[in-house]
Amino acid sequence: MLKYIGNRLVQIFIMLVIYVAIVFFLLHAMPGGIKSILITNPKLTQKAQETIIKAFGLNQPLWIQFWDYMKNIFTLNLGISFSYYPTPVWNIIAERLPRTLLLFTIATLIAFFVGFVSGKSLAWNRGKTSEYISTIVGIVTYTIFTPLLIFVMIWFFGSYLGIFPLNQFLNPDLWIHTNLNAQTVFLYILMTMSIIGVVMLVSFLMALRFSHKVGTRKLIFYLSTAISIIFALFLWAVSPLGIYGADIIWHMVLPVMVVTIISYAGTMLVMRDSMLETIKEDFITTARAKGLPDKVVRDKHAARTAMLPVITNFVLSMGFVVSGGVITESLFSWPGMGMTLLYSTLGKDYPLAAGALIFTGVFVLFAHLVVDIVYAFLDPRIRY
Amino acid sequence: MITLGSILEIKNFKMYYNTQAGKVKAADDISFSLNEGESMGLVGESGCGKTSVSMSIMKLLPENAEIISGNIYFNGKDLVPLSEEKMNEVRWAGISMIFQAAMNSLNPVYRVGDQIIEAIVTHEPNVTFEEARGRVANLYKLVGLDPERMDNYPHEYSGGMKQRAVIAMSLACNPKLIIADEPTTALDVIVQDTILRELDKIQKRLNMSMIYISHDIAVIAEVASKIAIMYAGKIVEMADSVTIFKKPAHPYTVGLMSSFPSIRGPKKELNMIPGEPPNLLNSPDHCRFAPRCPFATDECISKTPPYEEIEAGHLVACFHPQNLKRQVSANVG
Amino acid sequence: MTDSTDALVKEKLESPMSVRIKIMWRSFKENWKIFAQSKIGLLGLWIVIIFAVAGFIVYPILTATVWKSTSLNAMVSYNPITGYDFLTTNPAPPSWAHLLGTDPLGRDVLAELLYSTPREFMLGILAALITVFIGTLIGTVSAYFGGITDTFFMRLADIVLLFPFIPFLIVISGMMQVDLITLALIIGLLSGFGGITIILRSQGLIIKSKPFIESAKISGASDAYIIVNHIIPNVMPLSFLYMMFNVTGAIFSEATLSFFGLLNIKMSWGLMIYTADTAGYIVGSNIWNYWWLWLPSGAAITLLCGAFYFIGRGLDEVVNPRLRKR
Repeated sequence: MLKYIGNRLVQIFIMLVIYVAIVFFLLHAMPGGIKSILITNPKLTQKAQETIIKAFGLNQPLWIQFWDYMKNIFTLNLGISFSYYPTPVWNIIAERLPRTLLLFTIATLIAFFVGFVSGKSLAWNRGKTSEYISTIVGIVTYTIFTPLLIFVMIWFFGSYLGIFPLNQFLNPDLWIHTNLNAQTVFLYILMTMSIIGVVMLVSFLMALRFSHKVGTRKLIFYLSTAISIIFALFLWAVSPLGIYGADIIWHMVLPVMVVTIISYAGTMLVMRDSMLETIKEDFITTARAKGLPDKVVRDKHAARTAMLPVITNFVLSMGFVVSGGVITESLFSWPGMGMTLLYSTLGKDYPLAAGALIFTGVFVLFAHLVVDIVYAFLDPRIRY
Repeated sequence: MITLGSILEIKNFKMYYNTQAGKVKAADDISFSLNEGESMGLVGESGCGKTSVSMSIMKLLPENAEIISGNIYFNGKDLVPLSEEKMNEVRWAGISMIFQAAMNSLNPVYRVGDQIIEAIVTHEPNVTFEEARGRVANLYKLVGLDPERMDNYPHEYSGGMKQRAVIAMSLACNPKLIIADEPTTALDVIVQDTILRELDKIQKRLNMSMIYISHDIAVIAEVASKIAIMYAGKIVEMADSVTIFKKPAHPYTVGLMSSFPSIRGPKKELNMIPGEPPNLLNSPDHCRFAPRCPFATDECISKTPPYEEIEAGHLVACFHPQNLKRQVSANVG
Repeated sequence: MTDSTDALVKEKLESPMSVRIKIMWRSFKENWKIFAQSKIGLLGLWIVIIFAVAGFIVYPILTATVWKSTSLNAMVSYNPITGYDFLTTNPAPPSWAHLLGTDPLGRDVLAELLYSTPREFMLGILAALITVFIGTLIGTVSAYFGGITDTFFMRLADIVLLFPFIPFLIVISGMMQVDLITLALIIGLLSGFGGITIILRSQGLIIKSKPFIESAKISGASDAYIIVNHIIPNVMPLSFLYMMFNVTGAIFSEATLSFFGLLNIKMSWGLMIYTADTAGYIVGSNIWNYWWLWLPSGAAITLLCGAFYFIGRGLDEVVNPRLRKR
């Protein structure tokens, strides 16, 4: 197991180096090169331009530049943003990466869960009218032009029902009276969620270890999850940060909904196909013959095994989800990586754009690694 | 109605598959009974409906299957009208199965032992996990597996070991009847033989009833005390295995006998049964073997032969039974 | 004597070409039967046909007749790029003169929509063709030869798969001028080396292990001959299936990039929404007041993307027998 993870880590490191190299050479192969982009940028003074050219050795040969760039990347020195001069790129990314991380982790988990459950029941209810309707709805939400969906969602929930804010990361009227930093509050939220996640994982493993009865296992898992969530909510409620945290969460609901809607169908359709293939397997007949209740055959035997190709496909579609995220973030003014990437590109802020692109790649790579490890846990055949 | 002492009694059972091309008569007027502790072989070519019969007994039929008529009495209770929930109580606890493709009948993502324990705790909720583990360990010893292998996954087992594990699983809930559907087909000949012998020993020791299903009459004859021959969805002949071998009456059985080589007996030429295997789709209302039968007469292609007892315990569905003392030689040709 | 028999034999035997065509026709008919059972696939096919008719037939007819500039209506031009309607205040809601209204720059929305249709088709199909061409070639070659070729292309595919596709396109199109053809090339190349190679390779491996490849080798066929004549025709259905999904992807990417105003093109569905958005007509509560600015183009993108995806799902049942009902 450890060897497997180690192998994956080495592979992913190599991929990262190649990825950075491709990004670097592609940007330098642009007509006119980086220097012309730099010189034509009106936001920079003559002196600033010279400093940057000197600091990043833009006058040196390409290979030396590349070597320096590589060294800089791994010391997290990504240069200085043109548009936020003189803020270093890393500082901007360090501020925005967690926001994307939170948005995506939540939306992805929900989307996977919804897709998994609905795909499972689609295959189990094959040939019914409900199957056709859900398939069509699924494909439409999967291929819908994301801005179109967002316009309608903002109108419906933001204006028509008026229950969610239109856009923005937070409500300025609320935050104007405090000298609290939004980033601090945000990091607390992230920390709370990770702690709850860890508690869930630990209680799940404990349940597996200490009981062989499905009922007891479920009880341990749900009980500890509920207790940790209630405890966290209580802490937030009594702390002075509570209202600010709630404000951020409240602003997050719509973006999470959008990313969920555009990405659940991918999981659903693959799950349906995989499930249809699995229920023709012999071990499903065995499970039925053993006299197991229909639900147990479906969930424990068919769905659990059908899940494996779904996870593989999920890795492949990660890029798609991140792409949808760029549109979502920029239309909801959610200041994460996607929005940073778009606006730095539009503003010709090359170092920030390159940094954002690289860290979007790192994010996807990291997600790959996580999914790989999960997969290794789920499929005993590749564990050794 | 129900014969005393019989564990399984099938009466005039008809099951058709509805396909786009028409009705497939997979089981057409099947009747047989099996006593407690008795082992029976169900023999026929592939596609003759023998697996359909076994799946009908377990009521594990696909959606397009339709039970037309007939009854399946298990332990005196008719299984045909039973609901899914009631049927789940009979499955494995009453009747268990050893499947045709034992290689794939274990779920790859669960430990083999856990899959057996699952069957035990489903049917006997009072059994604790540790007790169930102990029982599985005993079963492993019984079928000749190392109990330590319980915590391995199916992909860590060899083909023969998987087969033994599947047999152990079929014994898990002490069923009264085990249906072994081609239990050894995927294995090589040596392992095949060992496993069949062990299966036979276990069956005698635990005094269970057993139905062996195979296309290979020679394999079945070693372990089954009586044999039913199936052809195109019908049982054409049934008798104890000695009778079937010594005095096969149905021309199809005769053909089957002569298409297998014998090591001990006198050398003779192997005969093939001429013609194509039958198509079960919209089968005709006369004797289905008639197109391939060397003894067929006009009678055979106009009427269905009755399924009759020609000797004590020897049932045949044929107008021209062979190897009988009062055989009418004029029928030949 | 022998010559005449040869002629006779030749007369009886059809030429290999016509036999091949007949076999192809028959398999097409059979596959069509399976495809036609999939309601979703048929629905997609109909939507695509309607779009194709609208873009390739209706639009040229309209420009040549109703929308032709005459001295009578010189104040109204239906040119989708430079046209301007001087008679109304723009953007104007739908009317008889403008069935779908006009955009903030006074152009007829329906004309813009129809003008863009053939271009969307071209982009989608060109990108998908490049993808499928590269994917099929590399997939079959790495399946057939294995070894270092295989390893190289598979690792490459892993890296390409890792690329955040749209962010990457955004950065590229922000740094250089990208028009429709360039975009099709970039999308085609990027996705050609990606996931499709892995899928077609595994299919190629299955076919490679079939006995007819062995017999072709024994009868002395060259590697290139076997790949072109035996392996590629057998992975073709799968390639075709993935082509449909790639058309969806390409059209979607173009719309997204146009929506951000990153492409160097004059008119497209995504650009129509971009124009309306930057002019401030799509804001929260009043989106329905100017619905004709974003709904027709947005719906067109969704419908066409969805339609190709529907076709792909229908083809899936043809290519993948395990998904079929019986």
